[in-house]
Amino acid sequence: MSQPQEGTFAVASKPRSFSIDAWAVALAFVLAALVRAGVFKHIPW
Amino acid sequence: MASSAALPQVRTLNPALQFMKLIPGVVLLASVGYAGKLLEANVGRYAKGHHWTFPNIEYVLWAILIGLAISNTVGVPEIFRAGVATYEFWLKAGIVLLGSRFLLGDVLKLGGTSLALVGIEIVGAIAFMTFLGRAFGLKPKLTSLLAVGSAVCGVSAIIATQGAIEADEEDSSFAIAAILALGALSLFTFPLIGHALHLTDHAYGVWSGLAVDNTAEAVAAGALYSDAAGKLAVLTKTTRNALIGFVVLAYALYWASKGQAQAVGSKAKFLWQKFPKFVLGFLLISVLATAAFFSKEQIGALANLSRWAFLLTFAGVGLRTNFRALSKQGLKPFAVGAIGEVAIAAFTLGLVLAAQRIFGW
Repeated sequence: MSQPQEGTFAVASKPRSFSIDAWAVALAFVLAALVRAGVFKHIPW
Repeated sequence: MASSAALPQVRTLNPALQFMKLIPGVVLLASVGYAGKLLEANVGRYAKGHHWTFPNIEYVLWAILIGLAISNTVGVPEIFRAGVATYEFWLKAGIVLLGSRFLLGDVLKLGGTSLALVGIEIVGAIAFMTFLGRAFGLKPKLTSLLAVGSAVCGVSAIIATQGAIEADEEDSSFAIAAILALGALSLFTFPLIGHALHLTDHAYGVWSGLAVDNTAEAVAAGALYSDAAGKLAVLTKTTRNALIGFVVLAYALYWASKGQAQAVGSKAKFLWQKFPKFVLGFLLISVLATAAFFSKEQIGALANLSRWAFLLTFAGVGLRTNFRALSKQGLKPFAVGAIGEVAIAAFTLGLVLAAQRIFGW
């Protein structure tokens, strides 16, 4: 992890607590829940 | 020093702004992927209408080719880069959604066979790459990174190992460049070899999952052959990914024993940290599908959502591959990677052909 340059510092709003994997799983489950609930009835291809 | 210039500048990392920065690149991924889909539907029809002989090119290859053309001619402008880098996110979401197409019994049966093959592949690949690295006089940690990258799961494994064994960033970028360049080549060579050998969808899919290192390229190589081969490639590659923690842990312990990396504390915690969590999502969706939580139509909808996610991934594979940048990374690691990959591809092909005979795939 690179250090901030002298004279600057970064203020992150919050440390990232979720990995890319966790976000991908979350999105997939949200989509699956919407399909299950009938919000998305047919997904064309 | 009371001037305002001496005051520290505060750089805020606004999540909303970060999210907005992804949009242009994601739109580019979607546009390239959809252009590939349109070309698949229309080029063949146009060629047929004009009585031309033209091979049927799938959307997977079109999307990759368009991405490669952009990346290697005009390049990907800065504004799109953050969004293009999300291709791995779409890949993982697509794999989780694809879990709905597998009943748990199939996952355990196919995954069990894959696990045995993956175990043999990992041991063989690490042994051979270590031998090659030593024969070519590569730095030991670079050899470790190339061995992990070619044995387990490409870029993710290299990044995970780099941190664990405290390798140089330069070594890591050499190894990643070699794995990515060879992954790009496999997209064009694997389907040709598969067709030349008349491999079944099952055998070809397992071979792609075993031999192609980066997950995105393994899924693309499988999908280039057929839908069924793509499914098997995902399952085999996911099995391979699930073992990443064990391989990285072994390397971390090895380098720590030599005093060249920090000692590993809790091994269970280390394994959990390195375990790819999307594999759990894939299994959970598969459990839900097995328990009839989704209707047949809903499983069809989830499978199509998975296809859309993969479409963005395939566009990203092309867009992030720049051959000029890869060629600057040095010939030796590439040569070791290339020789190793050819040997691993031949070895795993032999394994798959033997398994095909035994299991009647």
